[in-house]
Amino acid sequence: MTPEKRPPVWPIVLLPAGVFLAALFLGRYGIRIGDTVRVLLGLDGPSDVFRSLILRVRLPRVLAAACVGANLAVVGAGFQGLFRNPLVDSRILGVSSGAAFGAALALLLTHEGITVQMSAFAFAMAAIGLVMLIGFRFGSSTLVLVIGGILVGALFNSLLGLIKYVADPLSTLPTITYWLLGGLNATQWADLPALLATSAVGLSFFLVLRWRLNVLTVSDAEATALGLRVRFLRGAFVVVGALMVAASVSMAGTIGWIGLVVPHVARALTGPDYRTVVPASAALGACTVIVLDTIARTALPTEIPLGILTGLIGVPAFFLLLVRFLRARGEIR
Amino acid sequence: MRRITFAVIAVALLAWTGIAQSERTIVDQAGYEVSLPDSIESIASVYGIGTYFVYSLGAGDRLTTAYYIGLKSAAQATATMQRWEPRLSDLLSFGDPNVEELVAGGADVVLADASQHEAVAAQLRELGIPVVLLSAEHPDAMKEAIQLLATALGEEAQRRADAFVDAYDRVISCVAADVSPIADTAPVRVLFLGTSASTAIGGEMYQTNLIEAAGGVSVTEGLSGGWNEVNLEQILRWDPDVILIAPYGPVQPSDLLEHADWQSLQAVQAGRVVRMPRLIAPMDTPVPESMLGVLWMATLFYPEVVTLDLADEVVAFYATYYGVTLTDEEIAAFAFQ
Repeated sequence: MTPEKRPPVWPIVLLPAGVFLAALFLGRYGIRIGDTVRVLLGLDGPSDVFRSLILRVRLPRVLAAACVGANLAVVGAGFQGLFRNPLVDSRILGVSSGAAFGAALALLLTHEGITVQMSAFAFAMAAIGLVMLIGFRFGSSTLVLVIGGILVGALFNSLLGLIKYVADPLSTLPTITYWLLGGLNATQWADLPALLATSAVGLSFFLVLRWRLNVLTVSDAEATALGLRVRFLRGAFVVVGALMVAASVSMAGTIGWIGLVVPHVARALTGPDYRTVVPASAALGACTVIVLDTIARTALPTEIPLGILTGLIGVPAFFLLLVRFLRARGEIR
Repeated sequence: MRRITFAVIAVALLAWTGIAQSERTIVDQAGYEVSLPDSIESIASVYGIGTYFVYSLGAGDRLTTAYYIGLKSAAQATATMQRWEPRLSDLLSFGDPNVEELVAGGADVVLADASQHEAVAAQLRELGIPVVLLSAEHPDAMKEAIQLLATALGEEAQRRADAFVDAYDRVISCVAADVSPIADTAPVRVLFLGTSASTAIGGEMYQTNLIEAAGGVSVTEGLSGGWNEVNLEQILRWDPDVILIAPYGPVQPSDLLEHADWQSLQAVQAGRVVRMPRLIAPMDTPVPESMLGVLWMATLFYPEVVTLDLADEVVAFYATYYGVTLTDEEIAAFAFQ
C-alpha cells in the first residue's frame, strides 16, 4: 500500500454509538435525562410509562434506523464499486422499486408487518434477478446492468401504479402512499428480527470481504488474474446487497439516496480504499438515518415522513459536506 | 369517418336537446349555472358522497352509474349494503371519471365532486351534459348540497330534503342541549384514528366537526391537512379519554386494548376504545349518516345525559332515508358494551 496518511477509522465507527445513545434521550414525551439514564441502567425509580417508552418504543426504532442507514450506505458503496459507476445505488438497480411493489402488493392483500417485509424482500430479489438476467444475456457490462436496472425499476413502478389504482382509496391507498414516503413510525421489537438478522449477516459479509471490492472495482480481467472468481463474487455481493436493501426498504420505505450520497462522503473522508470506505459508510449511514428519524419523530406533533426529511435536510447537508471535503482535497475548485 | 360524423351528430343532438329542454337553471356549489331538463329521469354520480344524497332523496332508482365512497367492488360492501341496493354491482364505478363513458351512459345529469372534477365537468358542459358540482366538506355544506340536489330532482325530493335538514338540525341541537353543561366545562378529549393505529385526523377534517357537535374535543385539532401520521409518544402526551377508530381499515379496538405499549393510556385503561359501526356509508364522512355519527359519539361520550335514544334514531334513519328495515343484529352494532 502507499504510505499516504489516512485519518483513523475509529472515530467514525464510535460516532454511531454516541448518536444512538443520544437519540434514546429524545422524544415527544418529555422524559428527564436522569430518568432515561436510570431506565437504561435498569435501576428502579422511573415509572412504567417511561420504561415502556424508552425500551419498547424508542430503542427498537433507533435500532431499526441504525440498521437501515448502515445497510443502504454500505450496499450503495459496494454497488458503486461493483458496477464501476459512481451514480449507482440500490434504487438505480431496481431493487427498491421491486421492494416497493412487493410491499404495496402485501399491503393491498393483508396488513401484517411480516408479510409486507417478506413480500418486499421477494420482489426486491425478483428485480435484481431480472437485472442480472439482462446482464448475463447481454454481456454484463456496467452499462447494460444500469440500463437493465432502470428498465426493471420502471416496470415495477408501473406495477406499483396499478396497485395504487386498484387499492381502496379510503383505507389501503393512504397506507401505501404513506409507506412509500418512508418512515419508521410504529416500529416494534416484533418487526425487528428479520432486519437485525439480515443486517448482521449482510454487514459482516461486506466488512469481511471488503478488500475484495478493491479488486472488483478494477477490470474483470485483472481481478481474474489476481485469482478471484469474479462472476461468483460479484453475484454474491449483489445478492447479499439486495437482501440488505430489501430488509431495509421493507422496514423504512424507499429512501434510496442514502446509498448514493453517504458512500461519497465516506470516500471524501477516508479515501477510495474499500477497507475503510465500507466501515465508514456503515457508520455515517447509521448516524444519518438515526438523526433524521429523531427529527421525524420529535420536531412536530405529527410524524414527518423520513423520505421527505432525507431529501429536504439530508441532501443539502451532504452536498455541502461533500463540496467542502472535495475542495480541501483539491479535487474541485 | 362515419364514426366522427356520428359523434358530431350525437353531440349536436345532445346540445340541441339540452337547449330545447333547459327550462330551469340552478347554481351549483362551485358557482356554475347549470341548465337542467324539466324532469331528471337518470343520474350518473361520480361523487362518492353525493351518491348517498341521491338515495336519501328517494331517487336511488334513477342512478345509472354511481361512485360509493371507499368502494371499489360490490364484494367489499357490507351485507346491509348489498341487501339495500341489489343493483350495486351494475351501478358501481370508481377512479377517474371517463367522459366518453358518461356521455355513452346518457344520464340526464352528472353529479361530480367540486374539489376533484372541475376538468371533467368542463368537458361534459361542452358536450351539453348538465353537471352539478357538489362539495360537502362541512355539515352546512352537506345540507346545502342535499337541498341543491333536491331542487334539481323535483318536489318529492325537496320535501324529503327539508325533512332531512329538520331531522339533522333536531339531532344536533338536541345533542348540544344535553351535553353542553358537561362539554363546556370538562369536554371528553378524543383521538380519532384512521386506517392504522398511528393515523389520526387533521383539524379541518369532517370528523373534527362531528366530535365537536357531540361535545368532545379532538386532541389532534391543531394538526393541519388530511390524515396525519403520529407516534405513540405523542399519543401518550395527549392521553385522550376516548379513542375512536374509523369504520374502514384493519384497526380493531383489541389491537390497542391488548397491546402492552398502549396500557398506560386513560382511554385504554377505561376500555373506551371503540370502532365506529358501519351499515351502509361510513358515518364519519359527510354522508347523511353523519347525523347518526354525532348522536353515536355523544351517547358514547356522555351516556348519562343524552336523551335521544340511539337505537330508535338509527332504525328511523335507515327506514326513512334508505328504505331499509334493520335486523336486530344490525341495530345491535350501534350499542356499546
